[in-house]
Amino acid sequence: MTNLICITCPIGCALQAQLVDGKLTVTGHTCARGEEFARAELTNPMRTLCTTVRTNDPACPLLPVRTQGEIPKAAMMDVMRLLAGVTVTSPLTCGDVITSLAPICDGNVIATCDWPF
Amino acid sequence: MSIQTNVAVIGGGPAGLAAAIAASKQGADVLLIEREARLGGILKQCVHDGFGVVRFGEKLAGPEYAQRFLNELREYPIQTLTQTFVDKIKPHPLGWKINLVTAQGMRQAFAKAVVFATGCRERTARQIGIHGTRPAGVLTAGSAQYFTNILGQLPGHRCVILGSGDIGMIMARRLTLEGAQVLGVYEARAMPSGLPRNVAQCLHDFNIPLHLRKTVTRCFGYPRLEAVEIASVDEHMQPIAGTEERIDCDALILSVGLIPENELLETLRVSIDPVTRGPVCDQHGMVAPGLFCCGNAAHVNDLVDYVSESGEIVGTAAAQYTEQPRQHAKIIAGQGMMYATPQKITLPAGKFPLYFRVREELGKSRVVVRLGDTVLAKKTYLTLRPPEMERIALDLSQVALQEGQEIMVEIL
Amino acid sequence: MSNITRINRSLHKQFGGRFCVVPQQQHLSLQGESDNWHAIVQAGRLAAVLFKGEGGVVNDVHYIGEQAQPTRLPAVQDNTLDGQAPDVLVIGGGVIGCAIARELARYQMDVMLVEKECDVAMHASSRNDGMVHPGLDLKHKNTQKHHYNHRGNAMFKELCAELQVPFKRSGQYLCFPQPRWLLWAGKFRWNSHGIPSRFYNQKQLRRRLPHIHPALKCGMFFPTAGAVCPYTLTIAYAENAIENGVRVHLNTAVLGMDVHENKIIAVHTNRGTLKPKLVINAAGVFCEDIAAFAQDRFFSIHPRRGTNIILDTKFSKLMSRSASTLGTGAKEGYSKHTKGGGVIHTVHGNLLLGPNAVETIDKEDFATHAQDLRTVFGHQTKTSEALHPAQGITYFSGTRAATFEEDFVVRRGLYTKNIIHAAGMQSPGLTAAPAVAVDVAQWAADMLQAQPNEDFNPQRQGIVDATSLNNFARNTLIRQSPDYGIILCRCEQISKGEILAAMRRPLPCDSIDGIKRRVRAGMGRCQGGFCCPLITQVIADELGIPLDQVRKTGEGSELLCGEIKPT
Repeated sequence: MTNLICITCPIGCALQAQLVDGKLTVTGHTCARGEEFARAELTNPMRTLCTTVRTNDPACPLLPVRTQGEIPKAAMMDVMRLLAGVTVTSPLTCGDVITSLAPICDGNVIATCDWPF
Repeated sequence: MSIQTNVAVIGGGPAGLAAAIAASKQGADVLLIEREARLGGILKQCVHDGFGVVRFGEKLAGPEYAQRFLNELREYPIQTLTQTFVDKIKPHPLGWKINLVTAQGMRQAFAKAVVFATGCRERTARQIGIHGTRPAGVLTAGSAQYFTNILGQLPGHRCVILGSGDIGMIMARRLTLEGAQVLGVYEARAMPSGLPRNVAQCLHDFNIPLHLRKTVTRCFGYPRLEAVEIASVDEHMQPIAGTEERIDCDALILSVGLIPENELLETLRVSIDPVTRGPVCDQHGMVAPGLFCCGNAAHVNDLVDYVSESGEIVGTAAAQYTEQPRQHAKIIAGQGMMYATPQKITLPAGKFPLYFRVREELGKSRVVVRLGDTVLAKKTYLTLRPPEMERIALDLSQVALQEGQEIMVEIL
Repeated sequence: MSNITRINRSLHKQFGGRFCVVPQQQHLSLQGESDNWHAIVQAGRLAAVLFKGEGGVVNDVHYIGEQAQPTRLPAVQDNTLDGQAPDVLVIGGGVIGCAIARELARYQMDVMLVEKECDVAMHASSRNDGMVHPGLDLKHKNTQKHHYNHRGNAMFKELCAELQVPFKRSGQYLCFPQPRWLLWAGKFRWNSHGIPSRFYNQKQLRRRLPHIHPALKCGMFFPTAGAVCPYTLTIAYAENAIENGVRVHLNTAVLGMDVHENKIIAVHTNRGTLKPKLVINAAGVFCEDIAAFAQDRFFSIHPRRGTNIILDTKFSKLMSRSASTLGTGAKEGYSKHTKGGGVIHTVHGNLLLGPNAVETIDKEDFATHAQDLRTVFGHQTKTSEALHPAQGITYFSGTRAATFEEDFVVRRGLYTKNIIHAAGMQSPGLTAAPAVAVDVAQWAADMLQAQPNEDFNPQRQGIVDATSLNNFARNTLIRQSPDYGIILCRCEQISKGEILAAMRRPLPCDSIDGIKRRVRAGMGRCQGGFCCPLITQVIADELGIPLDQVRKTGEGSELLCGEIKPT
């Protein structure tokens, strides 16, 4: 039995989860998303990564970004290092793809606000 | 060069944006005043996600949440002044006279109703009694967040975080991702102050230890921080002699609470609730005739979604404001409650959300809203924790409330 | 029985055989060994009270207790000043040193001031309550303290007008729990010494100070008391000195001197060796060390730490004027050499509580302690019960440069010819500074036979305080310079224009704290939480340096550690 805190919503239910022969038992959840979260957490934990990338504007040197969906938790630092090499130079709208994460995992990184500000 | 408007909104963060849009939707002329160069308030530096779950059913990043309102704002004829500072506000035959400092010169605005959406500020090292030297490297989590997320600068390599508020835990994760070592998060209380999910995804995910019932009592080093003294605290949060330990670090980041920022409103002699530290408001966020307050300036919220909701309610009411005699009933935070807002109800009461926080952590409990022996609403909670603000939708449109009557909110 | 024998007998009686005094040429050497700093201080005081001589009591006790922190010295080492031979070298950039430098500029002399810190007013001159005292201490009326306090107080109005430093002669109440008759004698004496005072009974007192403690039965009002911002005054003095030709070198510490035939012939610093004709010792808590370098050590300093608490401006209504309380019984943590500060109405509209008095070995003991705060609050709530710790926005400690004689040492050298001391400056040193400076400059001019400087300009243009202007004037200012319309410090309403102005003054200022002390940015209730990052950007832009080179104070106080970078 593993104790987990569900991160899906602000309630943060305390879950007890167990995966035996591919069969999941969860208690403590108050919605279906909690069950999904527990399954992922016990097999392949996923996270949304929110961070920033550099811009070429010294007055506003950073643009906030996030992964479009969740990525494997274990890949977070690799994605951080990938994004450290990215610089935004042309105008973007909130939600535009900045880069693909192809070398590391599935998914894209998107802008979380319009740029230039 | 003066401006005349129906509603002036002071502050362009989430509360002010929602208030301005809501007031404009009612057809009012709206002036939105922001002291920074960009709208969005503190959301601009909150690059993490988790915003908008209640409102949009999505986990958005802070700037992304703000962007939705900024996009909506553009669709309305709202006059926006950025990099504009309100230095004085006074009663005037046209309503209120607002004195503005701008880079183009001094300006005046005249408004029938003024919405204060001025947010909150952070408690400082001085206010929580951290002693010792005054080196570089001691800063609030909000400042650290600005340096990291807006300017791209690291405030320290080896950081100690005091306070387990959400922003402290979020900064612990952020600093770790960006190359700093976070030695631990220290919390004087017995429970974390922030949301459980942040304990999980900000601390557990990165193996950052959370030390409860411990606080920072002293700084060492000059001119740069070299170490802090940590001590265990007793049940009154006072450091216990003999439990001190020294931890080498070059940054101390404080996430030790927020204080609604109402100094401008206080110059108008409104009454301030000593618990929320916001003004005493009615269900429309009205503080005094023509003066309104919303968002974190009214009381510190835990979710931005509720801040936006409060902005909308208040913006709508400000647009509809007319001068007329008003009667009020009261809402009293009863047994087990830290506070409940609104603190008063302008009659007729209608429908409105009631927000409350409890005094201490509780298991399964029932919250009751009653007028005398008549139960107006009740709600059962599996757990109630002081850091979490709770909301009950009240509909009092069928209740014959009288001037001066007291509605009690309490835990049974 | 000789004086010395009597002192030694008293010391023996009180401290056993631990301490004795040995007469030296014209001063007294306190000798012995102890690990108890308080005992040494008490022994020194005892000896000083009994000793009648030209010099004072010098602490030569071998102290074996916990040692003081090493003196903070500037890291920079170069020879940029090597070989320079100013007529006068002023050591110390506190209010005393800067005032002297400015008064010296009235004469045709080449004046240099050196200060070991990165700015002026870094020690006692920025760590005090800003009170301009009326001079109430009649017990010690034949002291230099009393003399200079009286003269200095009278100079403040004109001086602050010349230097454009805010000053308010708002008066001070001294309140008593005893009934009125006790005060008649005091009132008579104060008035007869030219210190105007008024007597108020409890009813009158309460009308004037509605929040005064109900136990206080009567009070005196001293209209000549005032408030000034001590570091603004110091900076103004330094700037006016520079405008009149004085060279001010910061980050420059005196490390030693060569003395030949009772004359200083060389002064060694971290920037090279200087050859001044005359040295002025205004080194605050380090004045004994400077005197020792000059082989003119005839007094000793026992640093006394005081802590002050500043309340949010919104509570200033609790006390419309400064007020202190006397006669409320024992004051733990307060020495008998202070009336216990008071509730001070600062010139910026905050209430300031303090200071207490704690003996310390450490001259730069600026750390604050929870106990000090409790002591200060405990004492000041005897003046008003309406005061509460939650009203405080900040607090700070400083050290007073107290001698065993508890008096100033403003005089020419005792053994060395070309030195003037302005030493032992503790309260009311700020009030006394203008008068001390006039005397010291006069003596220096006499010694060097200097002629008056016809070009001396006593007027200094201060940094404009935009919030004090009316809308029309503020509008005109912003139209000329739009930066004055961009507010960066929201609590104190300080604009980018004022911050840039602070950085473009005769005395360099390039740090967060330097700006804070010049224009108050970051001094409000958020304590720089909002404006610190913004001001950091302004400094970086103005100096053309990366953000991570912007400092809080001096060398080594960089706020940031470089760009974010995942590892």
